[in-house]
Amino acid sequence: MVTLTIDDKQVTVEKNATIFDAAKVAGVNIPILCHDKKLKPFGACRMCLVEVEQMKGRLIPACTTPVTEGMIVRSTTESVEKARKLVLELLMLNHPLDCPVCDKGGDCELQNLAYDHKVNVNRLSDEKFHHEIDYNNPLIERDQNRCVLCGKCVRICDEIVSRGALTFMNRGIETKIGTEFDGPLNCEFCGSCISVCPVGALLARPFKFKARFWALQKKSSVCGYCGTGCSLTLGVKDNKVLTTVYDENQGFHNGQLCVRGRFGYQFINSDKRLKSPLIRKNGELVEAGWDEALELVAARLKSAGTAAAALATPRMTNEELLLLKQLMIKEVGSPNIDHSAGYGHAALTAGLAKSFGVAAAPSTILDIQKSDLLLVVKSDAYETHPVVGFEINMAVKNKGVKLHILSDKRGKLGKLPGATVLVHAPGTEVTLLNAMAKVLIDENLASGAVAITGYTELCAGLAGFAPEQVADQCGVNAEAIRQMARDYAAADKALIVFPTGLAYPVQDAQVAHAVANLAILAGKLGKEGSGLLVLQEKNNSQGAVDVGFVPATGGLDARAILDGCVSGSIKTLLIAGENPLVSYPNQTNVREALQNVEFLVVADLFLTETAKQADVVLPVCSYAEKEGTFTATDRRVQKVQPVISPVAQSRPEFKMYGDLIRILGGQAPATPADAFVEIPAYAVLSYASLSTEGAFVPASVSSQLVLPKCSVSVVETGKLALLVGAALYHCGTLSQFGEGPLSVCPEGYLEISRSDAARMKIVDNDEVAVSTASGTVRLKARVSPRMSEGIVFSPYHFAGNPINQIWSGAAVTSVTISK
Amino acid sequence: MPNPFTPIMQGMKITLGHLFKKPITLQYPEERPKVAERFRGLHGLKVSHNRAKCVACYLCPTVCPAKCITVEAGEDANHDKFAAVYEIDMLRCIFCGYCVEACPVDALKMTGEFELANYRREDFVFTKERLLEKK
Ligand code: SF4
Ligand code: SF4
Ligand code: SF4
Ligand code: SF4
Ligand code: SF4
Ligand code: FES
Repeated sequence: MVTLTIDDKQVTVEKNATIFDAAKVAGVNIPILCHDKKLKPFGACRMCLVEVEQMKGRLIPACTTPVTEGMIVRSTTESVEKARKLVLELLMLNHPLDCPVCDKGGDCELQNLAYDHKVNVNRLSDEKFHHEIDYNNPLIERDQNRCVLCGKCVRICDEIVSRGALTFMNRGIETKIGTEFDGPLNCEFCGSCISVCPVGALLARPFKFKARFWALQKKSSVCGYCGTGCSLTLGVKDNKVLTTVYDENQGFHNGQLCVRGRFGYQFINSDKRLKSPLIRKNGELVEAGWDEALELVAARLKSAGTAAAALATPRMTNEELLLLKQLMIKEVGSPNIDHSAGYGHAALTAGLAKSFGVAAAPSTILDIQKSDLLLVVKSDAYETHPVVGFEINMAVKNKGVKLHILSDKRGKLGKLPGATVLVHAPGTEVTLLNAMAKVLIDENLASGAVAITGYTELCAGLAGFAPEQVADQCGVNAEAIRQMARDYAAADKALIVFPTGLAYPVQDAQVAHAVANLAILAGKLGKEGSGLLVLQEKNNSQGAVDVGFVPATGGLDARAILDGCVSGSIKTLLIAGENPLVSYPNQTNVREALQNVEFLVVADLFLTETAKQADVVLPVCSYAEKEGTFTATDRRVQKVQPVISPVAQSRPEFKMYGDLIRILGGQAPATPADAFVEIPAYAVLSYASLSTEGAFVPASVSSQLVLPKCSVSVVETGKLALLVGAALYHCGTLSQFGEGPLSVCPEGYLEISRSDAARMKIVDNDEVAVSTASGTVRLKARVSPRMSEGIVFSPYHFAGNPINQIWSGAAVTSVTISK
Repeated sequence: MPNPFTPIMQGMKITLGHLFKKPITLQYPEERPKVAERFRGLHGLKVSHNRAKCVACYLCPTVCPAKCITVEAGEDANHDKFAAVYEIDMLRCIFCGYCVEACPVDALKMTGEFELANYRREDFVFTKERLLEKK
């Protein structure tokens, strides 16, 4: 600890603190422009100059200068004030000062500083900048004329996003922030650079000119896309969500968001939102009143009884899922409820439930930065959960955490410094993980686990899994497997991260067993920064499992429900928020099911492909219009409040299912708070004290070693292996209605290796036909260095390019490709 | 005891004097008043280079104490900002002139127009078209 004096106040701070940090502790405000608490000190702008008694004769930048014992700092002397004024005058010399038409006005650091330091005239004069404004992409406008060269955008894109899309170009007065070859910005469009830009040089185009910053109400909420559960602030005006507002103090992620969170909000007030309930009359869906629709739905559910079924999306709140569960099981009397196609949750409900005795992973996202070694299974973890990806970036780059990746394709995480990537043959992850477990056992690295249930069976079951025996099958070097297992065991704190979801049915439960085995064998559980983190696809995937929205005793799972619709044993199907026609594999089967079922009810925000097949469509609310809780992937329970009133005639599902229960003569909890206390898993929490940042419900683990089953999938000779997964810009099918993500990634595509592309003479953007016995899908090709020869990849989110026509959920699908 | 006729005579003198002065009352509407230059009447949006000078900065609606100005900005083909909607609700306007003072581009003025009576409430909402300076 170091003690120093700032403006006559004495403070004691950490040895590695800067003068700026110390001043903050002392409550002294030092103006900054290029400094950001999330980024490394840079010292570009000289706004933070202070006088230091011991360094007389020059002014010292507070944001980069470390404190020393007995330092005497003055932050408001005449010379300091003079210097700051000059800095501002120089910054504004070539600056356009077009505040009336600049969207940053009112939220602009330069404006604020000029105001604070009373810079109302400039003693200097010079020509204004004449940089061309970049309108080349739909999301980020870059006006270099307004840039103050603070470098924050460059640094955040490098240090946190690890994309490196921006850099300084040219020298002296010509310096500007440039892109790759000064071309159009081609990046992840996470908008992090916009969020930190202190001026109007980087602006969000979807919000351009929509409202002034000061006219927005800033309302805290939780991102409705993936399971990371980022807190975010919505900018609301006239009962409409107009933008997301950056708040550097929000959440574990300090306000960082990915492209979906930052730009995907437009679905909330989309023109495409359903306006009123619809009922099919004479073959047409026509507008109807709520009472009529609810009476009809209640009657049809009741008359179907055990032949009724419900599929819900894990985007609903815990309380809504609870009510829907009560409606189906208690009032209708049907055990047939499920979510995420019945396998999206298998890693938890079948995998960890057995391995750990609890359907939740024990670690949290916060463990990533506290770890020594990260083992990521599937590089797609970055695409599915980008903000978790940022945490991994920072852990590896700033804290020197080791990164090991097991994946069927290369990805962004593999480019991090020092990352070890094992690219294996598609569908062999379980085999590979088993081989690692075998190494732990054989090399005596699992001695602590001998007493754990299942140890002997596992040892016996892994007999044929020595790395040398499976290396060829997995397509990796045996020694590399051994080394990875040894590294994993050797790290004091090692965390396994693996993403799940609709697009990854690949023996998810088995992968969960396999990774759980590794953690148990190597004794990595129960330590901070160590253990297992399962990344779940949707914002409330963990909640849906905690509430128990899975088949009740004797009930059918999602696939059996759909088969039941085809065979006629399911008569009334209620689909709440899912869009199985696009998102579930085996589309032909789903289509047949929806056409065959006697009565189909769809509750959704939009007239989705699935809703178009329905007999009754019920318009429901988005997360911005309702109250309730979501559980993030690391069991962080977060509460949202309505930030706008329901759009058109839509209703919160909580009210809707409550009404249905009451129509059927039951009693429903009156408020989400009443429902929350009925969720046993969350008994430790108090609803009233929850916020958008959430509170953790720890999973108490009782370990058991389970031998994972390996199914071998072989690619037919002469064909390519199709992998299906998630795209960075999308999450499920909801982002299809968020204009931002859609504008940068509007359609499905097929990633293909360079060598295959060269052989088939395919170049970028060629339309190719991807065929199996069950059909053909036409997709645009993307030649990508990350794919290995013989493997192609396609994301699943797009209704226009339904990859699920030819994908049935298998780990590997053999396809032929023609131009 | 003062002369009881004196006040009457004085009164008559004033009355007679006024008979020969220019009348103060106006035969409105046949006769029109000449309003002072600084009079604060109906607003006018100034025009320059054949387009409204207003750049839709939202300062006037922000400063307006009666909250009677509605601005909605639009982006034109050159990506520039313009007022797609500019409306003032004259029923609420208190003619304080703050909006004119706030305007950073001198796009707004107050004219001598004071005849704002109308038959329907809607007609008191002056749209951009009605507010634009006429040549
Ligand atoms: S960046 Fe700030 S100072 Fe510059 S024009 Fe925009 S609002 Fe004004
Ligand atoms: S949007 Fe994200 S990836 Fe793109 S330049 Fe900005 S920070 Fe980098
Ligand atoms: S664009 Fe913004 S963040 Fe980037 S250097 Fe310029 S002022 Fe700083
Ligand atoms: S990482 Fe997930 S929760 Fe966070 S902003 Fe992106 S989509 Fe939303
Ligand atoms: S203050 Fe002037 S430029 Fe701004 S909106 Fe009003 S009239 Fe337009
Ligand atoms: S804030 Fe210290 S130099 Fe910019």
